[in-house]
Amino acid sequence: MSRFDAIVIGAGINGLAAAATLARAGKSVCVLEQAAAPGGMATLRLDDGPELAPLLWNLSPVVLKAFNIDPATLGLGAPLPAVALDPGGAHIVLRGGWATSLSGETHADGPAFQRLHGQLVTYGALLRRLAEAPPPGGGTLLSQPGLAQLLRLSRLGLDLKRMGKPEMRRFLQVLLSNAYDLILDEMPDGPLAGLLAADAVRGNATGPRSPGSVFTLIYRMGHGGEVRRPEGGMPNLIRRLDEALQKTGCTIRTGTPVARIILEDDRVTGVETKGGEIIEAPRVLSSLGPKSVLGLTGAEAFDIEAARRIRHLRTRGTVAKVNLRLTAPRVPGLPDDLSAARLVYAPSADYVEAAFTPSKYGSLSEAPVIEATCVAAPDGRPWLSANVQYAPADLDGGWDDAACDRLRQITLDTLARALPDLPGAVEELQVIPPTRIAAETGAAGGHWHHAELALDQIFALRPGNGMGRYAMGPRGLYLCGASTHPGGDVMGLAGRNAAAAVLEGWV
Amino acid sequence: MSIFADPKLGLVPGPVHDRLAEQSRAMAWYDWAGYIAPSVLDSVEFEYFALRNQASLFDISPMHKYRVTGPGAVAMLNRMVTRDIRKIAVGRVGYTLWCDEAGHVIDDGTLFRLGEDDWRLCCQEPMLSWLDDAAWGFDATITDESHTVAGFSLQGPTSFAILEAAGLALADLKPFAFATPEDGLLVSRTGFTGDLGYELWCDWDAALPLWDRIWKAGAHRGLRAIGYEAVDIARLEAGFLTAGVDFQPVHATERLHRGRTPFELGFGRMVDLGKGHFNGRRALLAARAAPRSRLLRLDIEGFKPARGALIYDRFNRELGHVTSGVWSPTAKRNIALAHVKMPQAEAHPARLWAEIYTHEEGRWTTRMARATPMKAPAFAPARARATPPARF
Amino acid sequence: MSENRRYDVIVAGAGHNGLTAAAYLARAALKVVVVEKNDWIGGAAVSRSLHEGWTYSNCSYVCSLLRREVARDLDLPKYGLQVIPYEGGGSFTRGGDYFAYYSDHNALRREMARHSPRDADAYHRYSQAIMRQCRFIRPFLLRDAPDPASIRPRDLGELGYLVKKAWGLGKRELGETLRFWTMSIGDLLDEHFENDLIKAHLAGSGIIGTGLGVYSPGTAYVLLHHYMGDIDGGIGAWGFARGGMGAISAAIAAALKDHGGTIHTGSGVSEILTRDGRVTGVALEDGTEFHAPVVASNMDVKRTFLKHVAPNALPDEFRRAVERFKIRGSSAKLNIALDRFPAFPAAPDHASFIRGDMHVSESLWELERAYDDWKVGRWSERPYIDMLIPSQIDPTMAPAGAHMMTVFVQYAPYDLEVGGIRSGENWTEDQRKAMAETVLGQIEVACPDIRDRILHMEVRSPLELENEVGLTEGNIFQGELTFDQLFFNRPLPGYSQYDSPIRGLYLCGSSAHPGGGVMGAPGANAARTILRREASGKKLRGYAA
Repeated sequence: MSRFDAIVIGAGINGLAAAATLARAGKSVCVLEQAAAPGGMATLRLDDGPELAPLLWNLSPVVLKAFNIDPATLGLGAPLPAVALDPGGAHIVLRGGWATSLSGETHADGPAFQRLHGQLVTYGALLRRLAEAPPPGGGTLLSQPGLAQLLRLSRLGLDLKRMGKPEMRRFLQVLLSNAYDLILDEMPDGPLAGLLAADAVRGNATGPRSPGSVFTLIYRMGHGGEVRRPEGGMPNLIRRLDEALQKTGCTIRTGTPVARIILEDDRVTGVETKGGEIIEAPRVLSSLGPKSVLGLTGAEAFDIEAARRIRHLRTRGTVAKVNLRLTAPRVPGLPDDLSAARLVYAPSADYVEAAFTPSKYGSLSEAPVIEATCVAAPDGRPWLSANVQYAPADLDGGWDDAACDRLRQITLDTLARALPDLPGAVEELQVIPPTRIAAETGAAGGHWHHAELALDQIFALRPGNGMGRYAMGPRGLYLCGASTHPGGDVMGLAGRNAAAAVLEGWV
Repeated sequence: MSIFADPKLGLVPGPVHDRLAEQSRAMAWYDWAGYIAPSVLDSVEFEYFALRNQASLFDISPMHKYRVTGPGAVAMLNRMVTRDIRKIAVGRVGYTLWCDEAGHVIDDGTLFRLGEDDWRLCCQEPMLSWLDDAAWGFDATITDESHTVAGFSLQGPTSFAILEAAGLALADLKPFAFATPEDGLLVSRTGFTGDLGYELWCDWDAALPLWDRIWKAGAHRGLRAIGYEAVDIARLEAGFLTAGVDFQPVHATERLHRGRTPFELGFGRMVDLGKGHFNGRRALLAARAAPRSRLLRLDIEGFKPARGALIYDRFNRELGHVTSGVWSPTAKRNIALAHVKMPQAEAHPARLWAEIYTHEEGRWTTRMARATPMKAPAFAPARARATPPARF
Repeated sequence: MSENRRYDVIVAGAGHNGLTAAAYLARAALKVVVVEKNDWIGGAAVSRSLHEGWTYSNCSYVCSLLRREVARDLDLPKYGLQVIPYEGGGSFTRGGDYFAYYSDHNALRREMARHSPRDADAYHRYSQAIMRQCRFIRPFLLRDAPDPASIRPRDLGELGYLVKKAWGLGKRELGETLRFWTMSIGDLLDEHFENDLIKAHLAGSGIIGTGLGVYSPGTAYVLLHHYMGDIDGGIGAWGFARGGMGAISAAIAAALKDHGGTIHTGSGVSEILTRDGRVTGVALEDGTEFHAPVVASNMDVKRTFLKHVAPNALPDEFRRAVERFKIRGSSAKLNIALDRFPAFPAAPDHASFIRGDMHVSESLWELERAYDDWKVGRWSERPYIDMLIPSQIDPTMAPAGAHMMTVFVQYAPYDLEVGGIRSGENWTEDQRKAMAETVLGQIEVACPDIRDRILHMEVRSPLELENEVGLTEGNIFQGELTFDQLFFNRPLPGYSQYDSPIRGLYLCGSSAHPGGGVMGAPGANAARTILRREASGKKLRGYAA
């Protein structure tokens, strides 16, 4: 039997970040991971395919600091260009918010796109202030955490003011509105608008016309809006984090699923692993969503209202992973320098909304939104790793083989509209539906953010009213995963914030 | 198109409405959970004295009744209510309250342990969706028996004798116990009057014959059908609370702070903080030390009922209000229940004043009456607890 | 220029808000004229007789939101306003069943229990939750929305009031309130109820008049917008104005005239005149000019600034912002004269809920699909209909024995799609007829003999609403009720207090805070602002003093 100051369940990026933050504060921490290796959803691989999440949008420098890692040494690579695929072949290349044709001429809507992109990046930086700390509400106004929160909020207010009145007003106007209108107010509908609309809804069960999609679009832009592919891929990044964490003396045990969280007199005393081992600690932080935690404690540990909120948390995943094994080292139809680019098939904002519509009723999008990127493989035959949206977790009739086959075909057909030579260069397709993601990682609904990033499920309301400060139910029990503020996306802030909140109340 | 009354509107008859209608001379009915219920059948005075002197029969079928069954029933109910229900043995009935997450009382009621994993909850407020929420995550099934199980309250000194005359020998039945003397009939020694009494439970369809049978048995023992006004006097004498009158069930409040904790209602002893987690426990732990108010039983000078009166301290500062007030014909006291502010009311509890509003001959006046907190209920006769009970 | 065309204030548009603003101003002893393009007054709160013997509430058709402060301040009952609550409502199903939303709570409880005993209980908690939200929001309706970018004492004061009210809720309830404001009516109902029909019935108020679906975030607020009214303290109750909705406008107009105001009908504003950034008056279509230092426009923000103000009189950024304002038509209307009462075979004999609002939508998903149709420019294949027969209660609407039926239709797009082109121009006579057919098909679910009962029918697409009433794109709220256009964002950030970049030019219609519905609040609030800002030094009577 072993004893720690805290146990962290799950070694995804948030679990690792939580552990690192605690360990850096001198606490003894044990991380328990059910899978054979850390990394969680980011590094999930099936049948020798590529990792589930090959791209980095939002890795937080604040989190890296907790690991004591200098971002410069991490090999995060250069920002990747994006290609807005056009069914007519007039693909648009985006580099740092600047739009050109394949041959390099500035796109007609380039300036408008750049303006909007810049605006969103500014907004993103603003919201990042909120993302980098637990939501307010801890302690009284006069306590130390209370004052720190007040200071943080005043700084945010100051930043807002500094934008100038018109920009501040514009920000407060669009923040809660829908991406579709925001985008189309600035540019005509087309692949550029489609790309932004697709980025706005990526991973969520929402369409660009739904209010709240501007928020999720800004979320993507929280760290500058650049996309990178870490050298050696996501597993390499996770390995670095893992190593850094080990240096702090933190214990990481993989292949150790937790069977239950042990409670005594309404407080946490430790966990019991599926192997029957008891590990003691007065605090348990779970990267799993609240519903899974409730499964580990029993519903009786929670108030009825809390259980009700947990039950109603919306966690419907809508993205399936389709990995296409290519026969040649590059994507046919694109120049060499774009072979590593982020490819987005979303020819218009209307297209994205239309793709969303059937998913509401549990059907596959016949014309889905696809984001794809090439992931090198040792034998020179790379994987084109594609996120296909919308492919709802609660598909009518379930995710049987026929449904997976159907998705394979839809994916190929859709990509072929912009890249007609692609199907001939594909030798194998893996389909990982949201249900499989859920089963492998424990993320409810296979949702990228473990819980829908909707306006009523963000900030202090994430994952539910009364749970926004990471503590839930019995004393010593905390959430630290993507289902908490600010959310997922290989960012690590949820874990780091959770640990910060735990440290605030440390006795 | 002409306008006729919509037959679907309004109140519906309960299981023994025909009998009550035959009895009713006062034609005074009220709405009890949508059923036509008697306020008074002929006169409050005689109905009350029948209850305290002979026996009374009151239809309590409109109560909400829920069955909770399954291997998870105990855990589920224990998480929901404030007392430790594991201590209620099979065949026993327990009074309990349940709270929301803020520790405010949702409702109170009685829990019948019909079997190891078989419970019946009787309460005033509709509770199906709450029970449904409470059962999530537990292996327990909730069944609404509100409209399938009927109940009568047979109360008063001759109630035991009447049961005996009706062929129901229950001499050994202790207070808060129940028995099933016949198939389809459950008799519990419970009530809302503080007197010797029983509650009889049966299928809705079996209610009428059962009523007639009791009625016949009571013919020579002064049995009288009564309405709620008589019960209301008796329950105040016994110090019982009525939801919606003496406390506002928190689910029926628009202003959430008007909810009350069990401590504030004087039910601290019904809260078992040591039994493990239950709904609202965390909030109650924090709220226990500093109740915002307290429900007091008051003995008020004079004889004018104090319902609606405001309570003042000796410096004329407003401290609270009376929720129920009545002249107790048995205790010969003017009794009331009142919410008073804490801790102010504790400073000089003996010096409280009630401002009573009276309407006499077309004129409203107020009068100040001294109000003294009572430790015990105004009326708690030993006959209520004697086992075996006396025959009169 | 003749002296009698000089006024203190000109109000452009005789909708109920324009009349309200005018009446308040006239009451404060200002010389006020209301100019109206139609030969009649009322805007969308109008009663007209298009078929002899029958009066239609042509546009808006039921009343609840009219602020009682407005009714009292303007003494509207004295001028004949009578609002009669109606009795519940119901939803019919294609399978021949119905859900009756009785106003009698016992009957409602039994009826809900017939569909789901659990939901009958859940309704208690649900309605308390809604009431709590109404209680929170109502005080804000007649207050100014603070500009968060401003540090003027008034704005800080209003912001302080908001913070104080929010703080007063307590942590938990504040969280519930924030959730409520940001969630969809569909999700809210799914949390409380299990029965599809009950959910569909309760969801209607969340989408009426909006370009949102039941699962779009923000629709729970729209529901609130329909619930925050009351009749004689019966919160959330709806009723008929005796004589149709025009009776409200007529009463306000009578109050206005009584206070010395005038109404000039038959010629609309062609241009709002400005000089050096200040309004000077209006020029009418017939060439008449009225002059005043203050003009209050009851027209929506788009129509006011894009059609009636010279482009060079406005800053470019402001014009851009107005162009971006979302005002999408999503509703249509059928007004039907019936030879006698239609049969509702599914309803029990003498059902009282027939005197309320009736619907035929059976599930949230059906409603969501209705929205999907609208998104792509078609009227819903199965629209949500809100159908009432006010002549059952109001003897003034139709000859004895005959009846008048009003049918509100959600969704019908303004920019109808035909052959890949989306445009309001596509609303031809044939298209309107085709839509009416769709709607009649829906009505038939409840009353199969409806077609035999029709003596006359008025069909209003969003285009007619735009052309006749002047609502841009036929949006009944003069602008979407979404977060980006509510409270301090309504109609535009920085201009939420009824003012505009042109000094002396104000908005007093539903484009302004707190938004649409026959509420009178924007009109009353605008009048208060005008009196505060423009009438200092003048002797005021009563209201603003």
